[in-house]
Amino acid sequence: MGYGIAVCNPTCRAGEGLIMSTAVPPLIRLAGISKSFGDVHANRDVSLDIEKGKILALLGENGAGKSTLMSILAGQLQPDKGSIFFEGKQVVLDTTEKAIGCGIGMVYQHFKLVQGLTVTENVFLGARGGFWLNWSKMQAEVKELAAQYGMRIDPAARISDLSMGERQQVEILKLLHRESTVLIFDEPTAVLTPKEADNLFLTMHEMVKRGKGIVFISHKLEEVMAIANNIAILRRGAVVDTVATKDVASTAELAERMVGREVLLQVDRIPMEPRQVVLKVAQLSDELLQNVDLELRQGEILGLVGVAGNGQKNLVETICGLKKPKKDCIKILGAEWKKFFSSMEWDNVLSYIPEDRQGLATCQGLDLLDNFLLTTRQGFTRGPWLYREQAREKADYLVEEFDIRPPNLKAFAWQLSGGNLQKMVLAREFYRKPRLIVAEQPTQGLDIAATEDIWNLLLNAREIAGILLVTGDLAEALALSDRIGVMFNGRLIDCFDSDDEEKIAQIPQMMAGLKEQASGAGR
Amino acid sequence: MTTEIIISLLAAAVQSGTPILYATLGEIFTEKSGVLNLGVEGAMILGALAGFMVAKFTGSPVIGFLAAGVVGSFATSIHGVVCLWFQGNQVVSGLALTILGAGLANYLGTAYVGLSAPGFNPLALPVLSEIPVLGKIFFQQDLLVYFSYCIPFLMWLFFAKTRYGLSLRAVGEYPAAATAAGLNVLLYRWVGILVGGFFMGLGGAYLSLAYTHLWTTNLTGGRGWIAVALVIFAFWRPGRAVFGAYLFGGVMALQLRLQASGTQLPSSLLLMLPYALTVLVLVLSSWKKGSSDEPGALGVNIEPVD
Repeated sequence: MGYGIAVCNPTCRAGEGLIMSTAVPPLIRLAGISKSFGDVHANRDVSLDIEKGKILALLGENGAGKSTLMSILAGQLQPDKGSIFFEGKQVVLDTTEKAIGCGIGMVYQHFKLVQGLTVTENVFLGARGGFWLNWSKMQAEVKELAAQYGMRIDPAARISDLSMGERQQVEILKLLHRESTVLIFDEPTAVLTPKEADNLFLTMHEMVKRGKGIVFISHKLEEVMAIANNIAILRRGAVVDTVATKDVASTAELAERMVGREVLLQVDRIPMEPRQVVLKVAQLSDELLQNVDLELRQGEILGLVGVAGNGQKNLVETICGLKKPKKDCIKILGAEWKKFFSSMEWDNVLSYIPEDRQGLATCQGLDLLDNFLLTTRQGFTRGPWLYREQAREKADYLVEEFDIRPPNLKAFAWQLSGGNLQKMVLAREFYRKPRLIVAEQPTQGLDIAATEDIWNLLLNAREIAGILLVTGDLAEALALSDRIGVMFNGRLIDCFDSDDEEKIAQIPQMMAGLKEQASGAGR
Repeated sequence: MTTEIIISLLAAAVQSGTPILYATLGEIFTEKSGVLNLGVEGAMILGALAGFMVAKFTGSPVIGFLAAGVVGSFATSIHGVVCLWFQGNQVVSGLALTILGAGLANYLGTAYVGLSAPGFNPLALPVLSEIPVLGKIFFQQDLLVYFSYCIPFLMWLFFAKTRYGLSLRAVGEYPAAATAAGLNVLLYRWVGILVGGFFMGLGGAYLSLAYTHLWTTNLTGGRGWIAVALVIFAFWRPGRAVFGAYLFGGVMALQLRLQASGTQLPSSLLLMLPYALTVLVLVLSSWKKGSSDEPGALGVNIEPVD
């Protein structure tokens, strides 16, 4: 066979390797898996072992081939080369059913749950059994299974009424009920609150204790360090490194292994002198917000942190003109809200970088040029005519400057990876030379290199604009912001300079609503 | 005297509501699997003709009735080929089926216009038909009406209490989840289309074998379209479909009676009543959309992976 045991088996380490690799066959062994789409090599010669009772973390930048590998394991894609072994026997996973038969279960980033059905119905969907269903028995079964793994969930609740964390639990219950032995989690913590994430890790520990094998895909290095037994690092489709977590000294080392160069997770932020006020919110209230005051000046970044759902969305939508404030309490670039949005120019005003980059920021079915024109087209019109050639030149230049890949304006938005799409959105918005930028979770789901690029772009944008940065990532807020505001339950709890160590230490309490500083908020 | 009239009107409502009920239940079944089939009218009229012809040649209305169901399934299988094999547009395909069905049935049936065939006649059920008022309304009908009483219940039982009903609903709500659960989503959609088509065919046959014992051109007269609207009114629930179908049956029966009584109202206005009600019902049910069981993936094709 064309693969080396010492490379493919993450536990094979000097001394113990040879004995261990022959003792028990791994639950799943991938051997020399290659897959290409046209010219793109999504996976090259990937060899991995998924072992019983171990958590294997899969690290890699966007487009490193993680999702392709997972689709192959799930039976949705066929590898061009290589083989898959299930408990030592070679298998061909050419249908989803076969993958399920080998005990492989996936927890996708986008949950595969039927919204209109209940927890129990979702768990039992596709399960074998008799013609009739016995609901009370099934619900009891779900409840018991959940309890075994430390989950608390109402088996009769409809999915649409559940929180993201609970939905993920249902997804996990589905797999456990099916007696999956290999559970693959695709960035499971991206949608969870810190507390829900902790619960998830407890559940994972419970699962490995009961002999399951887990694959954990994540960008969050700390999480990987905290939970994984072994770490496999993918780069450009190939496994470049497999290490045991205990052999990794720090997250910095892991990050370095992952991107192949030293990553500056700490960007250099040289404070600028704040200039004129670009945004002023005075006593904004709505069904969720309560008397929010804030002020933003050109040359500064105001980082708004808090657990999602505490009013950030309403605040952003109101500032960006998607939601009408009840009374005139917002001044943008010196103009009242109503006046500003009734006569908004396309450039030198406001840019909104939404969290939902595939829905709100871009049109998936349009090519890059058309997406570029979405907010900039007025710069290329004379009367009723659109000057596409001019736009193409400009957009070509931007694609190069922002290093957007593939560097092809004919590529559709859906063909771009998250990081490249976000760069495209930033390129477009910065081209408008905005004086107020509202950036919502600008680096969510992006890899380290893309995050760094975007951080630097935002820092440089302070030259021309004031930036309201809404983020769920405290590290991001601390790295970029001049001032930090904390939101909880529709209120801006406090707003302070980002070098105020004492206040920074209190942020977690403020986010949890344990500490309230009513006065002085928003300056 | 007036109670007599009302009772006979209600009995007529049940009778003229029955073909709509069959068709509505068929469309609910199809839509629950996530397929929008606007070809109800086409499947109904082909079923009506098939039922009529088979009953005429075999002399057995029961065989005719079943044959109508089979032909209904055949008709909707065209929709299945277009939408499930080739991922064609479900709206366009359904419209084409309606036009094709009406044209084909009218063409093939030309020679039979005005002829009659053996059909189903009213058959009072012992005991039940003795119940005051209700007995006269519900239990002095023909066999096909009695049969139609059972279907909503059976359909509910299937959706709510069986493994395959759960799977079919999941396929209509979110095919990706059903695929991930290892279900053959296309197979379930085929079942949805063919079983639905069977009931649409039965609805057509009711018109040619029980409501009248005749074949005429355009026998269905837009009832298939009313069924499509009723699915929305029924919030995709078989039980509610019963009320909707009888409501429409009532309006149709009332309209006939008003004409017969020599009212001053123009007949074209009366003929319009059921269709005006359709519009009204659609407007009203879109108000309360929150409580409906509309399948999430209704009308969305399943693209092949890769």
